[in-house]
Amino acid sequence: MESTLLSISNWLITAAFFTLLISLIPLALSVKSNKKTAEFISIIMIIVAFIMEITYFLLRWTATGHAAVSNMYEFIATFSIMLILGYLITYHYYKTKILGLFVIPLALILIAYGSMFSTDVNPLIPALQSNWLAIHVITVTISYGILSMSAVAGLIYLLKAIPHDEKSWRARMLEVIMAGLVIVLVYIATTLIMKGAVDYSDEFMYTDQRGQTIVADYHLPSLINFEGAIAVEHLGNNEYEPADHFHSGINLPPVIQSQSLNTVIWSVMLGVIIYGILRLILRRRLSAIIKPLANKADLNLMDEIGYRSVIIGFPLFALGGIFFAAIWAQIAWSRFWGWDPKETWAFITFMFYTIFLHLRLNRGYEGEKSAWLAVIGFILILFNLIAINLIVAGLHSYA
Amino acid sequence: MGANPQQYYTENYGTLGKIYIELGFHNLYSSWWFIILIGLLALSLIAASIDRGIPLFKSLKNQRAKKHPSFYKRQRLNLHQGSSRNTADVVEGLKKKGYKVKEDDNHYLFEKGKLSRWGPYINYFGLILLLFGSMLRFFPGMYVDELIYITEGETVQVPETNGKYYVKNNKFTIDIYDEESGTVYDNTLENINETVVSNYQTDFSFYENENMDVVGSAPDLQKVEDYSVQVNHPYRFDLFEIYQASYDNSQMKSMTFQLEDNDDKPVGEPFTIELDNPHQNYEVVDGVNVNIRAYAPDFLEIDENGALISETPVATNPAFVFEIFDSESSELSLIQIMNSTDITENNKYNVKFVENKNHWATVLTLKKDLTMPLIATGFVIFLVGLFIGSYINHRRIWVNTDDGFSISAHTNKNYFGLKKDINPVLRESGYDEILDRDS
Repeated sequence: MESTLLSISNWLITAAFFTLLISLIPLALSVKSNKKTAEFISIIMIIVAFIMEITYFLLRWTATGHAAVSNMYEFIATFSIMLILGYLITYHYYKTKILGLFVIPLALILIAYGSMFSTDVNPLIPALQSNWLAIHVITVTISYGILSMSAVAGLIYLLKAIPHDEKSWRARMLEVIMAGLVIVLVYIATTLIMKGAVDYSDEFMYTDQRGQTIVADYHLPSLINFEGAIAVEHLGNNEYEPADHFHSGINLPPVIQSQSLNTVIWSVMLGVIIYGILRLILRRRLSAIIKPLANKADLNLMDEIGYRSVIIGFPLFALGGIFFAAIWAQIAWSRFWGWDPKETWAFITFMFYTIFLHLRLNRGYEGEKSAWLAVIGFILILFNLIAINLIVAGLHSYA
Repeated sequence: MGANPQQYYTENYGTLGKIYIELGFHNLYSSWWFIILIGLLALSLIAASIDRGIPLFKSLKNQRAKKHPSFYKRQRLNLHQGSSRNTADVVEGLKKKGYKVKEDDNHYLFEKGKLSRWGPYINYFGLILLLFGSMLRFFPGMYVDELIYITEGETVQVPETNGKYYVKNNKFTIDIYDEESGTVYDNTLENINETVVSNYQTDFSFYENENMDVVGSAPDLQKVEDYSVQVNHPYRFDLFEIYQASYDNSQMKSMTFQLEDNDDKPVGEPFTIELDNPHQNYEVVDGVNVNIRAYAPDFLEIDENGALISETPVATNPAFVFEIFDSESSELSLIQIMNSTDITENNKYNVKFVENKNHWATVLTLKKDLTMPLIATGFVIFLVGLFIGSYINHRRIWVNTDDGFSISAHTNKNYFGLKKDINPVLRESGYDEILDRDS
């Protein structure tokens, strides 16, 4: 019974992925020609995909008995679902189609990225066995989904407002963001290729910060490794023998997840190379390629969305990411605040948006300045979601 | 654990270490200057609230409906129409949308959501309470954070309660998820190839000491109740809470040995030494005895006199000197973990290690935090203020019929929503839509 629910649930999220992908076609058409039918079709498709995603979430919850937010895959998938929710809410108020043209690809990239982790359901460790898991994480992801709208609106604003061939810092910074996007895509592609297609696998055995022996499975040649790591080969049945794998010789203490960092370093290197190749082929900045998509945007509307989504998302983040989090931390770890890496980063995110609002309300940071801040806010959220979970070993390292 | 930070930093880092520790960097968030920073932040919030709050209060309280035509022109939303015939419809329409009306001759002020303006001040008030609460922690008696280490079966006094309470560890349990439980997890558990803990639990009995007030008397323990603490399920008593924090099974409880002769044949029955309280003598079979001549629970070295030196009193690395004697002879040997050395020559017997049992101890956290109600209340007020300030919009609309029909409107945020309030009313009254300077 439960496994049937799981299969249906997994099928639904895949179907939702393709529905969203296809919905981009009528959406793009409606932006280009202002055709009402195309807009109607695309919005219906997005709503259908969203319903499928919510059903995925609820079925998985029913099958496992806990909210589907307990590991990296589930968390990232939920974040992606909330992006769609954020978009539908924004659309309801402002009827903006261009925003969707950026949000949907972002949501798709996130699902693709999430599915690089194990998509298996996992049982909850004692610390996670609490109703607060659902309450805390769902509120946080909703707030992330809404806050992200501000960043997407900000990015569209910048793409339109900044002349793509301008010799200025703002144009270069925008191009850096484009290069960052290329790196993220390369990151996903390398992992999919090396892990899935090539099946590259170098195993290293090391002792983690709690003194447990762990085997790290490197899917890319090791540039950076754990202190005291030994190259091993799996013989099956929990037995290992020493082996000879490539390693650069750089080791870091186990509080840093060297394996994830290794992937990041590879992605940055390859991403920069691929970005360079793209520039050589296209002979233009990447922002110039994407700019036409943003040209139909109404700058005032983008600014309004950018501000409103922060105003709505920020209190939700304070509620879910700080208050609910503190209540649960008190119950599970006996202290409501302990400056764990994730807690510290939640505090940084919180302070950032506080500053954002103060600058906007007291110093008149509107338009472009506000757009930049919104984009930076999203980078902070992504850093908290991904880097803090994967690279720094803390209480929140579940994946 | 155990090392004195003052000494440690000074010894290892010299003057720099001394400065580091004097500034409290080893314990940053409890350092004196961090507390001063919190205090300064609270003061600046108070100053900002007074500085801005009072003028705002005054200006919102004594609002007049009459405004100069230039005021109308300055607003982002405004409109002028030649005829004032349908003013009454507009007034009715806006009233229906929940606006409060103030009338002065032929001037009108419509207002709603004024509460929104108080959001930031409610918010600051909550923050000030929170900051105050977090400074309170450094006053003695407000905050307790202790570990209680209890070996299975042992009863210990609960610290910080003046001997009023005792707790006995009846049983400590670790459960793991079963790979063949028939649930959806079976596949996952098989794939990850490591055990996943499902539960950490201490079953304990909680006692109150009835003899607490009688100085020097033995405790008279009356059971209050039995309880099982798990992660996420702390135990509460008085103002304290007890949490499941950790466990320890590194201490050995007993070691079992078997005496063998030189042909590896067992002699007599195996004997078990309780490491916390070892017997002196073990008779393995009629006439053959093992005496413990020396014992070190945590073996470090042998001193000049041949005695065993122990590094700590905790049984983590035991070593023994056994004297084995029968009717004919007596011999000595040193037994350590994984190693045995004959002390006398031509020994007839070997002592073989059979098995050891470990103590299971639970580690509980004892917590009292009297600052929490204040901090929690502060944060709840903060959130209420934040939601009021963010989710409610303060909207004001001015209308007059001095010269035709004039309307202008202002909001602290979300002009889009304000237009959605005004335009349908204007449309139904036969006027044009209001003009937005910014679009």
